[in-house]
Amino acid sequence: MKQVSKFRFVVSTAIALLMLVTALPVQTYAASPYEGYTRNKLGDDVHSINGYIYESSIDGYDLSSGPFSAPEDVFLADDGTIYIVDTGNSRIVHLNKKHELLGIIGDEEGDGKLYEPKGVFVKQDGTIYVADTKNQRIAIFDQKGKFQNQFGKPENPLLGATFSYSPSKLLVDKRNYMFVVSDGNTQGLIQIDPNGQFKGFYGANHVGFSWSRLINKLVATDEQKAKLSVVKPLEFSNAVQDEEGFIYTSTLGTEMNQLKRLSPVGVDTLNIVPRRYGGRFDNGPFSVPSFLDLAVDKDGVITALDLQSSKVYQYDKLGNFLFVFGGLGDQNGLFITPSSLAQSPDGTVFVVDKGRNRVDLFRTTPFAELVHDASRLFVDGRYKEAEGLWNEVLHLNGNFDLAYLAIGKSLFKAENYKDAMTYFELARSRYDYSIAFKEYRKEYIRENFAWICLIIVVIIIALRYILPFLWRRVRIMLSARRLAGAAHIKGGVPHDRNL
Amino acid sequence: MIATFRLMRQVIVHPIDFFHDIQEPGRVKWLQALFIVGLAYIAKMVAILITGYAFQTREPYEISFLNEFIWIVVPLFTWTVSNWAVSAILDGEGKFKEVFVGSAFALVPYAIFIVPITLLTNILALDESSMYTFLIHFTLFWVGWLLLLKVRIVHDFELVKMVWITLLSIVGILIIWFVGILLFGLINQLINFVVDMFKEVNFRR
Repeated sequence: MKQVSKFRFVVSTAIALLMLVTALPVQTYAASPYEGYTRNKLGDDVHSINGYIYESSIDGYDLSSGPFSAPEDVFLADDGTIYIVDTGNSRIVHLNKKHELLGIIGDEEGDGKLYEPKGVFVKQDGTIYVADTKNQRIAIFDQKGKFQNQFGKPENPLLGATFSYSPSKLLVDKRNYMFVVSDGNTQGLIQIDPNGQFKGFYGANHVGFSWSRLINKLVATDEQKAKLSVVKPLEFSNAVQDEEGFIYTSTLGTEMNQLKRLSPVGVDTLNIVPRRYGGRFDNGPFSVPSFLDLAVDKDGVITALDLQSSKVYQYDKLGNFLFVFGGLGDQNGLFITPSSLAQSPDGTVFVVDKGRNRVDLFRTTPFAELVHDASRLFVDGRYKEAEGLWNEVLHLNGNFDLAYLAIGKSLFKAENYKDAMTYFELARSRYDYSIAFKEYRKEYIRENFAWICLIIVVIIIALRYILPFLWRRVRIMLSARRLAGAAHIKGGVPHDRNL
Repeated sequence: MIATFRLMRQVIVHPIDFFHDIQEPGRVKWLQALFIVGLAYIAKMVAILITGYAFQTREPYEISFLNEFIWIVVPLFTWTVSNWAVSAILDGEGKFKEVFVGSAFALVPYAIFIVPITLLTNILALDESSMYTFLIHFTLFWVGWLLLLKVRIVHDFELVKMVWITLLSIVGILIIWFVGILLFGLINQLINFVVDMFKEVNFRR
């Protein structure tokens, strides 16, 4: 009896231990609330592996400064610290890398008191520029958060009498010029020099040609024209600067070219061919995405936030679609009312959710890292080096069209035109296919020149001599038959060839 | 069969004679016209199959045998009906058979040349596509010209009246399509109504 119970004890202990051991390394993998997809050449959404996964949130509850209220912007400084524009509480909250409070910008009293700011920019030396929206000014604080200076509404005849100033976002370039996005302003970014003087508009959107407007202009009377709504250029929602000093903008209210890379004179260099960003059917049929914010990393990868679908879209330096994540909803990883985003140097994307008063962090998946590495080499034109990485991408996800294109280009460069054609066909890139085909044709003709010549000669001989000869024979036969038929009708002897 | 090929040769080489000849009774048969329509359809499908990759404008799954057939038969048939009806009212001489046969034989250049022209797409690159598009357009204009010639000769019109009748025929085609779609919708509604009624009554039995 005792023996049995001892045996039982040993066995049950062993089982318990075994269960413990197998249960210990369990990590919970919450399924992502959104499905990853990529876009093929036909514009269809194709299932793909997620590029970004929800990691954590910063909501301010565990900070001594208290929870956020309707935050509008986040800025990641070069030293890794985080500035969160806590609009509802009229302050900027400064956090370190570990999300611990470093300080609060915005004084209780005096000139340093902010009133619902919507944007912040921090220079490399730590000087903080705040778009103090409701106070209609740019407020400047030093790195310790002490108020230094302010620039009010710019004065200039160019701005017009009805100009209303509502600075919401801003950036500061290397010359200390400020580029300010003012809500509702359609003339472009407002350039302000370090002394607070207005220096003109920058990079304005243009009103394109429209047939209906032309007809209206030709047909309508003056009174009718006065009643028509005035067509204004589209409004910028945000502007950011990349490491090379290019300014990227996001535009509201249009289906095409919502994201732009502006050259120093304000010309779009990203969309040589007009391009549609965001999804067309993400939020019901034919919805127009409204991009609120964008971030550009050191490789030129553009990450942009669309309010309509509450999704974050990512494009490479050339504007090719890479990843999408987020969406509308209550789960972690979805947003209620997203308002802004930023990307840290390690690739983590910070999305500010105004509706839920918090900032959500998304980390890259290994797949995204692989695609980013490959796309960096691809964009630089180092096709050969990128080829291996793209093959790995295809191994993980055979639906990634960009990979086929990139491998095709690598093969093309290696003068392997036949295989390049196969890959271009898989990527559905007819243009590249045609170019590769032309080279292949050249090569083929060179190798088989003798045979081709021979075939052409044979065809010419056939057409010139053999075919007419056969034709004559057939005609003779036919007419013979007809004569025989005629003889038959006339009542002659059938099959009498000597008729 | 050989008579059909002879007619095809004639419509290409001597189209004016051809359209005069088909007005002779018993010269052409309905079956021959249907044969030409079938030939045009087959040529079109073959052309779609052998188009080089760079020149394909549609994905394979977007192409349907039935759709392509409808897109040849329905326009041709409505054109025949409309043209015959319009010219019958406005002193045209053509009989329905002549109109149909003439329209069908106008497709002969398309049926014959589309396949060799499409073969070119397998040896041309996209930047040389102007040659291909020129040949395709040439063939289509040829077909259009034959159709106009048919209106002129079969109905014995002068030039201005031919243009006028052609325009009216096109309007007629649009009207036929409109009425057809309308009827389709109405009949659909009617059938749905009857089916629903039956279901409802069945439900409350």
